[in-house]
Amino acid sequence: MSDASLPATSTISLPAFRFSAAETIKHAVLILGSLIVLLPFYVMLSYSFKSPAEIMQNTGGFFGMQELFRDDYCIKLGRDAADCMVTPVIYNYTTAFEKAPLVRYLFNGVVVTASIFFIQVLVALPCAYALAKLRFWGREAVFGLVLFCLLIPVHAIALPLYIMLAKLGLTNTYAALVIPWTISVFGIFLMRQFFMTVPDDLIDAARMDGMSEFSIIWNVMLPTAIPALLAFAIFSVVAHWNDYFWPRIVVTGDRSLFTPPLGLREFKGDADGDNFGPMMATATIIVAPLIVAFMIAQRRFIEGVTLSGMK
Amino acid sequence: MGTGEFGDLPFPRQQTESSMKKTLTAIAMLLAASAAHAQDTITIEFAYPYSHLFDVTYEKILPKFKEQHPNIDVKIRATYESYEDGTNTILREAVAGTLPDVTMQGLNRQAILVEKGIAKSLEPFILKEEDFAKDGYHDAMLTLGTFNDDIYGLPFSVSLPVGYYNMDVMAKAGITSADQLPKTWDEVVEVCGTLREAGVRNPMFWGWNITGNWFLQALMWSQDKATMEGTEIQIASPEGLKALETMKGLFRGCDMQNIEWKAALASFSAGEIGMMFWSTSALGAVERAKGDFELKTNEYPGLVASGPMGLPAGGNAAMLVSSSDDPKVLDASWKWLKFITSGEGAADVARTTGYMPPNKAANEVILADFYTQNPNKDTAVRQLPLLRDWQAYPGDNGLAITQVIYDGIEGIVTGEFEDMGELQEELTEEVQDLLPSN
Repeated sequence: MSDASLPATSTISLPAFRFSAAETIKHAVLILGSLIVLLPFYVMLSYSFKSPAEIMQNTGGFFGMQELFRDDYCIKLGRDAADCMVTPVIYNYTTAFEKAPLVRYLFNGVVVTASIFFIQVLVALPCAYALAKLRFWGREAVFGLVLFCLLIPVHAIALPLYIMLAKLGLTNTYAALVIPWTISVFGIFLMRQFFMTVPDDLIDAARMDGMSEFSIIWNVMLPTAIPALLAFAIFSVVAHWNDYFWPRIVVTGDRSLFTPPLGLREFKGDADGDNFGPMMATATIIVAPLIVAFMIAQRRFIEGVTLSGMK
Repeated sequence: MGTGEFGDLPFPRQQTESSMKKTLTAIAMLLAASAAHAQDTITIEFAYPYSHLFDVTYEKILPKFKEQHPNIDVKIRATYESYEDGTNTILREAVAGTLPDVTMQGLNRQAILVEKGIAKSLEPFILKEEDFAKDGYHDAMLTLGTFNDDIYGLPFSVSLPVGYYNMDVMAKAGITSADQLPKTWDEVVEVCGTLREAGVRNPMFWGWNITGNWFLQALMWSQDKATMEGTEIQIASPEGLKALETMKGLFRGCDMQNIEWKAALASFSAGEIGMMFWSTSALGAVERAKGDFELKTNEYPGLVASGPMGLPAGGNAAMLVSSSDDPKVLDASWKWLKFITSGEGAADVARTTGYMPPNKAANEVILADFYTQNPNKDTAVRQLPLLRDWQAYPGDNGLAITQVIYDGIEGIVTGEFEDMGELQEELTEEVQDLLPSN
């Protein structure tokens, strides 16, 4: 028995170790690609630990030496030099939270991205349902328009949008940050593609049970669409959480309306030197929620993309 | 569905905030000896560029201002990330009707706001002041903000190009004290040669890439020649050729690498570069980032041994852009504008940044000791008599012209252009096409 079992195990485990040139190349390319993608994150994280001198002189390894250094800002405010010695990592992160009121910015970010996503779903689901399942005159033309709108870059229409909001007196409000994004043609397109794969029988059955069209959308279609919605949520949340361009355009007055990426500018000095430590600490804090959310939802995300026909 | 909670949140918050404010105001009204006091508070809105540099300056100035003017509240807006961003923001806000009362603008970006009628003339306010000249405003500074014989901007922070030297590296070329440092660009090239022989691979960095072709204008002013005369670009002049030839000599003679500012600052901090020519405003950043070596700043070299005959001023100026008609608001804005550009307010610019206050009284009286204690900051002050305009290119293509010249100079650095006469013709032709013709 034992004689027979040995070769059996080796034949079973053999394919796992078999050398394949194609697989090796594939993995080499993927590893190289992931290194290129991860390198900026590595630098970001490393800078958020180091002192200004270590950053500029490129010394101190990944974590920096964590030696005390003198905070010039504190000296300039007229405090004693002895009270102004700070540990790089603590300085970087506390400055990120204090100088840029990052908690407030993160709160704004949550309010804005959540409102955008909520209204986008409210609009996109009925539209997608109509485009996928209802027959009406001009349906293909409407769908064509949706596809056409996908081709318009937001920067091309930014100025008219800005002037419109300005005339309504809405610049420097949450509304200005949310309203332009409430209708997502990408969302409509994505959900329509997904609804096309839902069998008509399901809807017919619901109609026979006397459900109204709106009730079908929210009680039948919505639950089936959860994976696709999750995929859309990632696109939408990532895009608006990270958006620098639009908040920058409409929020010029009130600092307390800043979304997280705008917090980065507090550390800019351009030709006169940027404050990289706290800037990178801010960046780390901004991307952390996204990375955590992606890790948790990773499988659902890939399912969603494949399910909705974005193959 | 749960997301609706977030959408609703801000509104009750604001309500509680405003009701809190109401109660607080009510209490304040009761406590104040005269009820009129609380009503007299005037709020003005103010915006400035470069948070990281100037936050600390305003943090120091604000309490002093508040002490003198307890009934003026200065509300600070979102900062601009750069001078260009500042101009863009003001142009946009002018359309939306949400302009602040006072804005800080790059010295070379004031003209456009005056041309478009956004900036207000400061003449009526200056006329009311009794000893305006005594407050330390003198002509050279005021011309930086004068357009069509009216003053529109009061310079707030001014920078000039200076030389930064790593004295440990310079010792390898036998230079150990400030009076041995190079005074002309030819000497710089000579020192480069000595340093390279001594094994310094990257002896010099020259800030040709500073925004607005600042260093080209520096070489032109060094020969007492304006880069723009009316609507004519002066690159075609003999001085223009001399400027281009000087750059070529420097880049070739020192084998200068084509690196951006952040990389140059990093190399200088690490002690790899011996001489760096840049704006005095970066002094704070250089001191913060540098390794363990002796840093000295010294006068910007000239084309002749007596030094440059003029240098362009960098920095920013305060402009009144208020859309308010209320004389009280305008008056409060003027008080703020005047406070930050004169006296203690202006002195804080030097105390907190590498810039100089453009104010004679602040420099000579309040800060007399300060410069003895900070000799590296004194270099630019010694150069003050050389102060000239940082010229803007007229018309709508200002930014495009800046880029054309930038590309031309980059071509000298990379070695793409060898014949400066040819480059001179090419640049003149391209720039002249972009300038308004009259």
